[in-house]
Amino acid sequence: MKALILIVVSGALINNVVLNQFLGICSFLGVSKQMKASASLGFAVIFVITIASAVASLLYDFVLKPFGIEFMKTIVFILVIAALVQIVEMFLKKKSPAIYKSLGIFLPLITTNCAVLGVALTNVQNGYNFGECVLSGFGTAVGFTIAIVLLASVRVRIREEDLPAPLRGAPIVLISAALMSIAFMGFGGLSF
Amino acid sequence: MNKYVERLYNGLVRENPTLVLMLGMCPTLAVSTRALNGIGMGLSTTAVLILSNLVISLLRKAIPDEIRLPSYIVIVASLVTVTELLIEAYLPSVYEALGIYIPLIVVNCIILGRAEAYANKNTPLLSVMDGIGMGLGFTVALTLAGLVREILGNGTAFGLRVLPESIEPMGIFVQPPGAFLVIALFIIIMNAIGIKTRQRKLVEGCDGCCANCAVTGCPKSEEVTK
Amino acid sequence: MNMALNISSGPHIRDRWSTRFIMGIVFMSLVPAAVVGVVVHGLHAFLIILVSIVAAVGTEFLFDVICKKGRSYLDGSAAVTGLLLALSLSPDTPLYGPVIGSVFAILVVKCCFGGLGKNFINPALAGRCFLLISFSNSMTVFKVDMVSSATPVAEMLAGKAVNVTSMFLGTSNAVIGSSIAALLFGGLILWAFDIIHGEICFSVLGGFTLFVALFGGQGFDPVFLAANICGGGVVMGAFFMATDYVTSPVSKLGQTIYGLIIGVLGGLFRVFGQSADSFSYSILMGNLFTPLIDMYILPKPFAYRKKAIARQNGEVPKPFGQRIPRSVKVIAVITLLAGLALGAVYSITEETIKDQKQKAAWQSYQTVVPEAMNFRAVQAPDIYGQIYGTSFGRVTINEAVIGMDAYGKTVGYAISVTSSEGYDGNITISVGISADGVVNGISFTELHETPGKGMLAADADFSGQFTDRMVTSFKLITGGAQATANSIDNISGATVTSKAVVNAVNAALDFFNNAKGVQ
Repeated sequence: MKALILIVVSGALINNVVLNQFLGICSFLGVSKQMKASASLGFAVIFVITIASAVASLLYDFVLKPFGIEFMKTIVFILVIAALVQIVEMFLKKKSPAIYKSLGIFLPLITTNCAVLGVALTNVQNGYNFGECVLSGFGTAVGFTIAIVLLASVRVRIREEDLPAPLRGAPIVLISAALMSIAFMGFGGLSF
Repeated sequence: MNKYVERLYNGLVRENPTLVLMLGMCPTLAVSTRALNGIGMGLSTTAVLILSNLVISLLRKAIPDEIRLPSYIVIVASLVTVTELLIEAYLPSVYEALGIYIPLIVVNCIILGRAEAYANKNTPLLSVMDGIGMGLGFTVALTLAGLVREILGNGTAFGLRVLPESIEPMGIFVQPPGAFLVIALFIIIMNAIGIKTRQRKLVEGCDGCCANCAVTGCPKSEEVTK
Repeated sequence: MNMALNISSGPHIRDRWSTRFIMGIVFMSLVPAAVVGVVVHGLHAFLIILVSIVAAVGTEFLFDVICKKGRSYLDGSAAVTGLLLALSLSPDTPLYGPVIGSVFAILVVKCCFGGLGKNFINPALAGRCFLLISFSNSMTVFKVDMVSSATPVAEMLAGKAVNVTSMFLGTSNAVIGSSIAALLFGGLILWAFDIIHGEICFSVLGGFTLFVALFGGQGFDPVFLAANICGGGVVMGAFFMATDYVTSPVSKLGQTIYGLIIGVLGGLFRVFGQSADSFSYSILMGNLFTPLIDMYILPKPFAYRKKAIARQNGEVPKPFGQRIPRSVKVIAVITLLAGLALGAVYSITEETIKDQKQKAAWQSYQTVVPEAMNFRAVQAPDIYGQIYGTSFGRVTINEAVIGMDAYGKTVGYAISVTSSEGYDGNITISVGISADGVVNGISFTELHETPGKGMLAADADFSGQFTDRMVTSFKLITGGAQATANSIDNISGATVTSKAVVNAVNAALDFFNNAKGVQ
């Protein structure tokens, strides 16, 4: 039980996917301009990564390994993710247009979000079983959401006029991310 | 300038993927802890980029528009896997250093971005040159960042001791915060000396629609570069 | 700005107080801790403080000049940042540490974002964490007599016990600004005068204490909790770092939530983490949540309406920030500070007072056993300090000693006994008995009776009656009753006193007779 909690907390906070592993940076830096978009993307990511981790885990254990074709994992995983995203998009469009309107446009982004593929690959590397894969994916995605929401809230405060000219735009966002990263390093070394 | 050479110049300087287009941030931040890592990652990506641009350009008339994206992904993923296997077999130390970031080349915005923005619209040879230019630009940027971080954070450059033993290096630069700070510094310098970066895309987010690289082909994206 | 309510960042100008004035007060409130730090840790600590402040102000000055931003370096906030950073460093930090830390704190955390009021995390703490991560080796060196030694928190994390008093006073092997007493002094003053919000500092302390009590493994043990609070920058953080206007929420509820987040995270890091410096990170994490808290927890709109209505009716609304009446707070703080001051004085004088008492006792022993050159204490811990016997009233034997001559031969005994049945308080007597059992006499070490009456007991007329008497027990006679071999005439008008004295002496004699075997 403790180990499972540790996996979730570790994925979310101790080795934060964005601030520590640098996965998902592109959308992290881009989408955090808007608070609402960030929250929406975050939830979409949680949804997709958790399911993708589960599916990837099953495929790896029951298809790739038995047939000795582990080297296909990258292709298989990315196709799974792309397919999953398509399915989720279609599902949402049909069943819940409201949610689709707020979340849907972010779904294609998630396909190329390094975080999804990165988590699937890390799970394999760590040798997690199915349950651990799901929890790890979930934890990672929660960490992504926390990070992007926090960065978005910080960016709301920043007024371009106050900044020296060369810092406007990307640099101040990167510096903000650096400071957030420093704060998150406090979680390093936690053990239960 | 010869249009082939122009591609090289474009990728290296004018539209440097990392510093100007701001693509491929993930590997840039993650891998640039040492200059040698930068070279390793950069060259691996360049290899994949050249091949993928070539293949996609050759097939550009053959792939139907609707399955454009998934096809590119499969092609790139296959190329990456090939590259990964080759590195693992013949360059094990590089493989160790780069870890999972090799397979992540698949989702490196640069590759899919160039496929979408250039390779599927241009001739194979030009696409290859574009691939070389972009790849080299990425490599140079990555190596530079790696060099700075290595010197400040470890006192070495390319593995050789540069700072005297008595000066204590600042460990933060080989850690995540340092990555953000160094890249921020590069962009600040470029801003200060007047080179315009395509930040607006990355930072403004296009109203939240395609805040990522040019994968989804947001029409607005092309305007900003000009 | 895409917010309907533009909540401006602090510091807010309150009354006539300018930023400079507030910063000045904050700076002064840190001076006691700085002074203690320098006194305890020496010159290098002072240099660290000096260098840090100069680097901070200098950086802001340079930035102002280069970016043409006026004279913000004069508003005192950079100086405060420099001082806070210095106080959070080890006294053995090499001097480039505070320089780099201050430069980072001011340049990157503050100026890059636009200067005072625009930063989103605490500059001093960010500078400190920057240094901790960068120079993980030299920043965590705390020397005791030139030898690297663990800080109290580090020892706690390793499971060892620590000296809480030393941590409270600031004499332990910790950062420069670790005198909890001095920090509390400054911090409580800031709170009493509404410069910092109680919601923040007390929720931080409360959240932290609760988490450590619940999960720390030692329950609510006060010493354990006190040790945790007094170490690792918790008090400094609660009063001086977390309360920074710019990086903390605006609303009351928001501040409480923010404080609890910091406290709980701090507890989490302390209990489950490996680092002694983790509290700094928990405050930074709290800072990260401030914008979010401010977005969703606004000061209640009804409060505004209430204030508006009150103003319309001619009532003067309470000035911003006065939640508890200031007078109550000031009294509470003054009482607390007085208590602390008294406690400090007591602990300083405690030893001296004990010594004095001991000296007086020895002198009286000498009086009643004149031939003795020195005395040896008799061990009887179950008898000392307790009510002795049943027929002597409330009498306790304090101490018994054996008087020896220069050759170690026993020449007599002295017993110190106290009766609490004196008229006006305790009466303590030393009873001297010679080696052959003769009562040498008595000597008073404590006598507060009525002058002219009970006080006469010390006079030779009364006390001389005990000299050279061979009895096992005395009897008090009053009036003109017949003197006997063991009688003692009481003091007329001071029977209570006389009785108490006689009872005390009898108790001593009884003890002597019964304990003769015990040497």
